[in-house]
Amino acid sequence: MAQKKEASEKLTALFGLKIGNISGQLEETGREFFCADNRLMDEDEVADLSSEFVQLISGLLGSKDPHKRTTPQFHALEIFFSGLAQRMLMRGGNVEDVVRYSQRLQYSLISALERDSGIAFTQSRSVLLYFAQLFDELIMAIFRTYLSERENTLRAQEEELRATSTPITQIWDGVLTLPIIGTLDSSRTMLVMEALLSRIAKDHARAVVMDLTGVKNIDSQVSHHLIQMVRAVQLMGSDAIITGIHPEIARALVSLNIDLSGVTTRASLSDGLKEAFLRLGIQVSHKAS
Amino acid sequence: MAIPGVHLTRIGKGNFLLEPLRSMNIRDQGTLMQDIVAQVQNAKGVLLYYDLHDLPVIDPVYYDWLDKLARTCQAVNIRMICINMQPTAAFTLSKHLAGKPAFEIALGVMD
Repeated sequence: MAQKKEASEKLTALFGLKIGNISGQLEETGREFFCADNRLMDEDEVADLSSEFVQLISGLLGSKDPHKRTTPQFHALEIFFSGLAQRMLMRGGNVEDVVRYSQRLQYSLISALERDSGIAFTQSRSVLLYFAQLFDELIMAIFRTYLSERENTLRAQEEELRATSTPITQIWDGVLTLPIIGTLDSSRTMLVMEALLSRIAKDHARAVVMDLTGVKNIDSQVSHHLIQMVRAVQLMGSDAIITGIHPEIARALVSLNIDLSGVTTRASLSDGLKEAFLRLGIQVSHKAS
Repeated sequence: MAIPGVHLTRIGKGNFLLEPLRSMNIRDQGTLMQDIVAQVQNAKGVLLYYDLHDLPVIDPVYYDWLDKLARTCQAVNIRMICINMQPTAAFTLSKHLAGKPAFEIALGVMD
């Protein structure tokens, strides 16, 4: 308690000083990190960054209780570092640079204050401890931002992968094709089904050709999902045609007792398309010479 | 005569469109079925479109209602076609549906 009071008094004394002039010294640190080789910022941006930081840290240290982590002043500082981390990551920088910059900022700040105030901080554990704790918290904010950015990137990549693994194409007005390639597991079947049903509703598709030429294995659960997918397509009011069933898959379906009586199947994708066109009354013919 | 809980509209010669409202009470199936079928039959209707546009999920209870209504229609030679089924409803229904439903299904009102 006494230590805290001592630190607070020292801090108040420190920040009674005009610290606006340390902004230039902090700028040097920013330039070193962001303007050198990797050119993540230009010099004007570094100058703005440093003066914003000085303003925020003055706000915190001049507040009633600089130790409190729930004050708007501390929150503003946290947002400043989160924003900086986000900006750097988006520009191709890495989290390590931002963390090292924050640590260097801490040292620069301490030495600049020490010089301006004439107080030897090396003999004052309380002030050093205060800055160490403050910057630890701020580095935590940087890591939180980094993790959330990583999560966002992973989510976006997952979405992209999902879209490319279910290439539903409208091959003709009202006719959708869905080539399924690779291993068809339960979660993928669900994703395919979700995408397909939404697409039927959106495009008002009257026929769907699902091509299994690229599917080599199928298990009991997946075959049930496949039949469920066909049933859902039919319930939407579309015709489902399955094509390209390999003999191994046909044998597996039979041995799994899967009822294919309500399902239209064709040997190849082209046969499936012909069947879909036939059902929709579409005639495709060679141009008369 | 208006039937409580549904909108029944004539949309062409012999065709009717049934739009269920939020206030429709399928617990009172008997009266509801009787009123719907009577109205279509009186107008010499042969085709009843059941619009599922506002239904995000079809659970076994609702499916049972659709099945009974379709079979009642069949008994008096009226075709019942469910239209505008939502992807979520198709998904849930496909999970617990065994066999072919008693009603026909189409994307929308046929030309």
